[in-house]
Amino acid sequence: MKRTFLAALAALAMSGAAYADTIKIGVVGPFSGPFALQGKNFKAGIDAYMAVNGSKVGDDDIEIIYRDVPQADPAQSKALAQELVVKEGVQYLAGFYFTPDAMAVTPLLEQANVPLVIMNAATSAIVTKSPLVVRTSFTTWQTSTPIAKVAKDAGVSKVISVVSDYGPGVDAENAFKAGFEAAGGQVVEAIRMPLATNDFSPIMQRIKDSGAEGVFAFLPSGPTTLGFVKAYNENGLKSGGIKFFAPGDLTQESDLPALGEAALGIQTTFHYAVSHDSPENKAFVEAASKAIGNPAELSFPSIGAYDGMHVIYKMIEATGGEQDAQKAVDAVKGLAWTSPRGPVSIDPESRHITQNIYLREVAKADDGTYYNKEVQTFEKQGDPGLAAVK
Amino acid sequence: MQTVLSIAIDALAYGMVLFVISIGLSVTMGLMRVVNLAHGAFAMIGGYIASYAARDLGLAYGFAIVLAVFGTILIAIPIERLLYRRIYGAPELTQVLMTIGITFCIIGIANYVFGPTLKTVPLPPQLQGSVDLGFRAIATHRLFAILCGLAVALALWYAIEKTAFGVKLRASVDNAAMAAALGVRTEIVYAVSFAVAVGLAAFGGVVGAELLPVEPYYALRYMVTFLVVVSVGGAGSIPGALLACLLLGGIDTTGRYLMPEFGEFFFYLAVIAIICVFPRGLAGRAKG
Amino acid sequence: MSMTTTNDLIAERPAKHRFGGGDLIGLGVILALAVIGYFLFPNNLALLTRIIAIALLVLSLDLVTGYCGVATLGHAALFGAGAYAAGIVSAHYGINDPIAMLAFGIVAGAIAGLICGAVILRAHGLPQLVLSIALIHLFHEFANKASSWTGGSDGLSGIAPSALIGLYEFDLWGRTAYVFGVVLLVLVFFILRLIVRSPFGMLCRAIKEDPIRIRSMGASPKAALMKMYIISGAVAGVGGALNAISTQVVGLDSLSFTMSAESLVMLVLGGTGSLFGALTGTIVFMFFEDVVSAANPFHWLTMVGALLIAVVLFAPKGLFGTAAAFVARRREAK
Repeated sequence: MKRTFLAALAALAMSGAAYADTIKIGVVGPFSGPFALQGKNFKAGIDAYMAVNGSKVGDDDIEIIYRDVPQADPAQSKALAQELVVKEGVQYLAGFYFTPDAMAVTPLLEQANVPLVIMNAATSAIVTKSPLVVRTSFTTWQTSTPIAKVAKDAGVSKVISVVSDYGPGVDAENAFKAGFEAAGGQVVEAIRMPLATNDFSPIMQRIKDSGAEGVFAFLPSGPTTLGFVKAYNENGLKSGGIKFFAPGDLTQESDLPALGEAALGIQTTFHYAVSHDSPENKAFVEAASKAIGNPAELSFPSIGAYDGMHVIYKMIEATGGEQDAQKAVDAVKGLAWTSPRGPVSIDPESRHITQNIYLREVAKADDGTYYNKEVQTFEKQGDPGLAAVK
Repeated sequence: MQTVLSIAIDALAYGMVLFVISIGLSVTMGLMRVVNLAHGAFAMIGGYIASYAARDLGLAYGFAIVLAVFGTILIAIPIERLLYRRIYGAPELTQVLMTIGITFCIIGIANYVFGPTLKTVPLPPQLQGSVDLGFRAIATHRLFAILCGLAVALALWYAIEKTAFGVKLRASVDNAAMAAALGVRTEIVYAVSFAVAVGLAAFGGVVGAELLPVEPYYALRYMVTFLVVVSVGGAGSIPGALLACLLLGGIDTTGRYLMPEFGEFFFYLAVIAIICVFPRGLAGRAKG
Repeated sequence: MSMTTTNDLIAERPAKHRFGGGDLIGLGVILALAVIGYFLFPNNLALLTRIIAIALLVLSLDLVTGYCGVATLGHAALFGAGAYAAGIVSAHYGINDPIAMLAFGIVAGAIAGLICGAVILRAHGLPQLVLSIALIHLFHEFANKASSWTGGSDGLSGIAPSALIGLYEFDLWGRTAYVFGVVLLVLVFFILRLIVRSPFGMLCRAIKEDPIRIRSMGASPKAALMKMYIISGAVAGVGGALNAISTQVVGLDSLSFTMSAESLVMLVLGGTGSLFGALTGTIVFMFFEDVVSAANPFHWLTMVGALLIAVVLFAPKGLFGTAAAFVARRREAK
């Protein structure tokens, strides 16, 4: 048993070295089901990168193989990753929208000799699970911490925190609390509500009764966001002067047409706004819009995917197409470049992306569409969440 | 006191929205005995049509609703003819398989045609904004939904209990063979009831779109809620469904206000408790 | 006028095998398929192992739905309980022996079966279905809340099963897990064949047909169904534990409504009331899903929907059920 296993491993490694004229990248994401939009954005980001930079690195052709995990399903994710490595012979694993799906794959990496480039999953601890993980998206801690300072600067000292009751929601709650209390504010109440909440009126009543001057909210992007923001308006919280703070998941660009007027003026902090003003972003938005078909569907996972591809291309360059996961990861440690979202670098120690976090406000453009308008920049933000979990 | 009133208002509004969307399912499940898991899919189609009509074509809200109802019925007719007709009277589990299959197909098609983003049905100016009730504000469209719910409940009750068609329908349900022998064209009765159920689904999908936004996964996301509400009420009973919606709406809203952390526990424990006390649903009759 | 329960409606299938030969053939078919699978898809063993784990869940569902007529959309509770138990003893208590983990999974599955049975058997038909839905959501919420034990929505990781009987490691290629799974499946299948054809199994079928008559004969339908539910829980627990051991991670999805509904779909697809039907349904559904979702990760759901519709139209008793009926008719014709 053991011998055949070693032989297979050797054969795999050899084939990687000698005949790699096509390098395969396995991308796992939610391409159907309730989160299909985010998966579509993965593909758009990847397609955009390959459209701009070509589908060849050196002499090697790049081939992307997509696998679908519609909802967080670690067992399925792991089975698919195994299949990608063993059957399809991918040299890189990438994508992963949900944290548990990424966590499930980390134990495989070393044995498979494959680096994992995370294009979304935002829980801080993932990078600690294997030295072969690199992340090009963000963490909930990273995007939720600056908003605490924004809230304090806006003269709000009592805030109620309202989050969806699951991993990222709890992360956001802790991040905000840590940041806000450090800035001298007080979180008067922390509410966790079930993920499957349709009617937010009772929650709004709770917020009103708490006597807070502002509300910090985190919900997964999608239909619940719409209900939450509408309830905030309709129950008289907005007109009552209770300020709204959130990380940018709540006002992702693809939800803005539906949110419309209701979202106007909401302040969020996030790593990327489609409206970001730079030549790099202009080129990216053009390519990604073409890739996704309907530009209104473009949202933040696309940028994680785009930069993820950049990292993988650099890895392939550094290893000359040979399969050497450790060498590939080492090559991108400290890598710095100008992404469409602004200047970024890979922190050599945590292998997580260091980036600017922007304060944005939902505004109405001249043509009647809504967008996230960047108003303030927090430069070179690392991941405060890693220190918190340690 | 103010808080209690406020919760009561929210509960009423939420319950009525649930009622408008699920009552069509009560008709298919109770009167036609089809476990129609594709109910949410029809509501979603209605929402998409209304969204397209009102947002992209700029039609009036009322017109968009009418278009959604009849458009959805039009889409449903071939589905009924080709697929549903095969499962009338079939084992429940077969019906589950068929209707889940239909739901999957509709989700896939909606995702392909309309894309995965959220769609809204823009409200007319009269329904926008909030009404001040003195002690709190409530969204105007919520009041509209409450009124719609009451109207639907009354109309259905009248149609089933007081009209000739209602008599035929009840006869066909209780004993199809006997009804047919007495000259009731059961096939037509079934087709009309199905159309009504689908129309109600579409109507609910549009009216409830503010609360349950339209997107491709709508069809599955809220299916469980609809199924629970209808069964707790007792399938086929209009007053039962109304009572169940108000009760569950109330429990859900109160739970979410008092201890949101355990909101789900509240709701489902209540469901279990109700069914243990009323094993046939709130208004379930002794023997069907 | 309540809904007619599944009991009355599911087409009964007469026991076809009068002697034990059917068992041997059945076991032979499973083993043959397992060997073919191993050599035909040597790089897909992870998928095959997952199919086996789900097949155990579907078999377990068949025990209560197919043989006892209980309609449930919450059967993953039993599977998830097994998976979490096996995972938690390994991740938190350092019990890494796969056999011991399996034992914990079986016990936890049986306990979950006891709890679910106690609640679900209180109603019939549609209300019963809703009870099961409420239960699975409660289980799911509970696992989400107990995140210090279960990892919550991030999933339970850190499961590290040691080598099987001290010899075979669970590795990337998944051979050990696959063989382990096949052995478990064959064992479970063999035991279940004995159970469903024992007097107790016959009693359960009779309860499905006519509970009142059984009661008047002096037997307690409730007690028999509870017993079957516990057995079903143990079987689902095996599946859950196998899943936890082979993938070394347990997520909330294993306690989800989605998984319950999917397992029911697989069962009906294959044909209720027959162990072979359960196996057929699982294999066909999972393979089909794997193939179409790899071919088109974006729009495969439509294809799956079309498959389900086609089965209802052309094989209303399920794939295996219809095939078996066809064979039986041919035999009678001779």
